[in-house]
Amino acid sequence: MSATIPREHEPTAVVDVAASAVATGVTRNEPVLEIEGFSVDYGVGASMVRAVDDVTLRLDRSRVLGIAGESGSGKSTLVYAMTRLLRAPGVISGGRALLHTTDDDGVVTPVNLVEATESQLRKVRWSHVSIVLQSALSALNPVLRIGREFDEVLKTHRKEMTRAQRRARAVELLRLVGLTEDRLDRYPHELSGGQRQRVMIAVALALDPELVIMDEPTTALDVVTQREIISELATLRARFGFAMIFITHDLSLLVELADEIAVMYAGSIVERAGARELYEAPRHPYTLGLLHSFPPLHGERRELTGIPGSPPDLADPPTGCRFAPRCTFVMARCLSERPTLRELGDEGRSVACWLFDPASESRVPVELSLAPSARQTVGEP
Amino acid sequence: MSDVELDTGAVQLRASHLSRDFTTRVPGRFLRAKRVTHAVEDVSLDLVAGRVLAVVGESGSGKSVLARMLARIVTPTSGELELRGTPIAPKAKRDLAYAAMVQLVLQDPFASINPVHQIRHSLERPLLIHGAERARVGELARSVLERVSLDPSDRFLDRYPHELSGGQLQRVSIARALCVKPQVLLADEPISMLDVSVRLGILNLLKGLCDDENLAVLYITHDIASARYLADETIVMYAGQVVERSVGTALVDEPTHPYTQLLIASVPDPSDPTSIAPRAATAGVMDSSVVGCRFAPRCPHASARCLAESPPVFEIGPGHHSRCWLQEGNRVATPVLTTRRGKGGPTTT
Repeated sequence: MSATIPREHEPTAVVDVAASAVATGVTRNEPVLEIEGFSVDYGVGASMVRAVDDVTLRLDRSRVLGIAGESGSGKSTLVYAMTRLLRAPGVISGGRALLHTTDDDGVVTPVNLVEATESQLRKVRWSHVSIVLQSALSALNPVLRIGREFDEVLKTHRKEMTRAQRRARAVELLRLVGLTEDRLDRYPHELSGGQRQRVMIAVALALDPELVIMDEPTTALDVVTQREIISELATLRARFGFAMIFITHDLSLLVELADEIAVMYAGSIVERAGARELYEAPRHPYTLGLLHSFPPLHGERRELTGIPGSPPDLADPPTGCRFAPRCTFVMARCLSERPTLRELGDEGRSVACWLFDPASESRVPVELSLAPSARQTVGEP
Repeated sequence: MSDVELDTGAVQLRASHLSRDFTTRVPGRFLRAKRVTHAVEDVSLDLVAGRVLAVVGESGSGKSVLARMLARIVTPTSGELELRGTPIAPKAKRDLAYAAMVQLVLQDPFASINPVHQIRHSLERPLLIHGAERARVGELARSVLERVSLDPSDRFLDRYPHELSGGQLQRVSIARALCVKPQVLLADEPISMLDVSVRLGILNLLKGLCDDENLAVLYITHDIASARYLADETIVMYAGQVVERSVGTALVDEPTHPYTQLLIASVPDPSDPTSIAPRAATAGVMDSSVVGCRFAPRCPHASARCLAESPPVFEIGPGHHSRCWLQEGNRVATPVLTTRRGKGGPTTT
């Protein structure tokens, strides 16, 4: 028996995230995922609820797209539907989701996931797109050892691998996320929450996919473990260059992690912008409210207000802008007409708010017209 | 909110040297092999009228067990409780009078409010149990809903829990605790299950109850930024022990314990674009049986002494205490709140 306990995590190297994005981003202007006019309904007929409403998104290779939103905003439904994991009564009611898959020879083939057959999906899933779910405890089979999770993925998609090769690959993957080999023979309940989530990330990377979707991977973890996992993700991304969709309700986390952020409210995207632009100069009143909902760690203690009211009931959404009942800048028009997501001049960002309608007479409030500071350009092209 | 403000209000609930051990069977060993986990060890605190005390710690640090001991749902292994100067017999059963003074608000409002009854039922039942006249309970329930800003109260009384949002339900849960006019409100992670946009509303409600109605509030959280926002005094717990405590915001602004520093460094901070840089931190096992400082296996500053000897608590400033050997030279006064029990101290023989 060895007398020393193996250390679970080697200290990870310090990585400059912004620089790494540039290093791996030689193909950054090629899209890996294009979603257009995507809508998802729950149920049909009178009781139908539109959970995702006409969402259009584009994600380039090796980039990180953050999707921020509260519970019920449709952010998880969007990715489940897009990857065709959504179960009844969820129905994709419109739009398409093009995944640009690259095979071993570098040939890019777009696959419309909405119309893909089961066998097409089988080829795409895990090899080209993988997903890490919020609750690793329910995502991992409780009666199988961790090694089996890796084994099944590799067995299905890499039929040529031998048992020994699969084992070696699993060990390699575990090392990547800072876990030791002996974890392979453990059951999920024997691991801590953070370790389970690391296993999920390792399995998601098993086949070196182009797109990894993270659905609130750190929400159930405490803040120290969250920090460790986020740092590891940054390191892994710098090394393998996969694109990532990161879903969370914690906007402050996304500002650090993502290149671009889409803010969802009641099923639609209300604002889309570069991460630092969004943080330093929010345009939508909801984004502004979200940013003011986190008590700061520095400075004078002062009263913050958050956002008054509650998120709307999607079975009976307000007419007009869905944020209008909670909005401090509400106008008469907001209550009757629904704004659509439109490009904001040449700022490279979009917002769904009547305040920014060129035809509108109203003045944009000062809180929403800040210019992004010069600091943001550091690390951006 | 002034930064350093010493006790002015009356101490409503005083806990002295509270500890709670749990005995567990060691899996896979002989059936009789037992292991004792010190879930909470030697925690002393005062809950003062009109002030918020925050307890910060990660999952498993013992903060919820502490709240349950203060609510007397969990019996302490040792230590004393004093309610408004009256000592509580340690093994006595919790009585209604105590429950009327000290109320607990739980983390998940979806689970803590009976889903098959209207809100009216959840509010009127505690009133009836505590001896309110049946004719008046409706009116009392309405007034308590108004105190938590659920207007119009009539509309909410006849709703079922599934018809309300998380934030509204948590307000109901606080209203239910307020029904019996308690002096002490124990809030165990009241915002962690709620949407980001409604969290501040709940925090401001707690602050308002504390300021306007002179309630003593215990706020348990893993979010140190929200503790800084709300609390008059903050305690950081690690593996069952208090590792740092301070009045005002000194603990967050000038943290002295490496664990507090790690907690603060881990909070996402968009104003600092470099804060994502990975930090060398190892996830340690919180084995309460370790000799020496419990944080030592994860601590970047750990020395041989830290592994061998458990540090006492050093006072490093007015109302600011830290359980770390690094602070030994910084101390301005004699150590207070040191481990007075035989247990948990240095075990060198």
